[in-house]
Amino acid sequence: MKYLALIITTLLVGCSTAVPIKPTFPEVPQVLKEKCENLKKIEGDKVAITEMLKVVIHNYTLYHECSTKVDGWQEWYDSQKKIYETVK
Amino acid sequence: MSQIIWILSFIPDWFWTLVLIFGILGTLASWVLKFIPFISTYRLPIQVASIIALVVGVYFQGVIANEAKWQDKVAELQQKVAEAEVKSKETNIVVQEKIVTKTKVIKEKGKDIVNYIDREVVKKEEIIKYIEQCPVPKEIIDLHNQAAELNKAAEGKK
Repeated sequence: MKYLALIITTLLVGCSTAVPIKPTFPEVPQVLKEKCENLKKIEGDKVAITEMLKVVIHNYTLYHECSTKVDGWQEWYDSQKKIYETVK
Repeated sequence: MSQIIWILSFIPDWFWTLVLIFGILGTLASWVLKFIPFISTYRLPIQVASIIALVVGVYFQGVIANEAKWQDKVAELQQKVAEAEVKSKETNIVVQEKIVTKTKVIKEKGKDIVNYIDREVVKKEEIIKYIEQCPVPKEIIDLHNQAAELNKAAEGKK
């Protein structure tokens, strides 16, 4: 009876199996995949200060557009991380 | 071992329940019902067969329970993954809309400022005088353009 109990206990030791489910990597919004534009250069030798200012403003605009994309990446990452942490 | 279990998994669950019941009854009978002639004659083979049936029956009850537990886990995880994928797509829409709206506002504001320069600033007398008398020196323009291409300098050094 002792041996029987021992054999039953040994046989009933749980098996570990990996669960065959893989979550797919989340898609990134198309707008985040677009590259940031290059900054604009001032063309010409004799340039009025107002023309130069316009180029500077254009470049500030490009910076803020690009910065918005970086913020978007951070938000996307944080939210996707939160979502996929629930899958455990 | 897992291959053997896999092959045996084709046998229906009720079969292993029957084996277990046979094992229990056989074991009890060989100990308790010794006074019956058939059992007393074949007591040892019945005991051996019953104990084997008992062990196998208990083992496969464990296998069945374990399998059911894992199947539940798989189903639960599949559900969670499906929910996460839906949430992920919803989040993407929110992020995309936010970026598109912000970018639109930034572009419009930039254009507004440039338009204001063309419409108002260039008409101011002191500005007209300044533009006429003080064109931006070439050196300043070159430095600005160099700064605008700092990323290319960094790429060249890779």
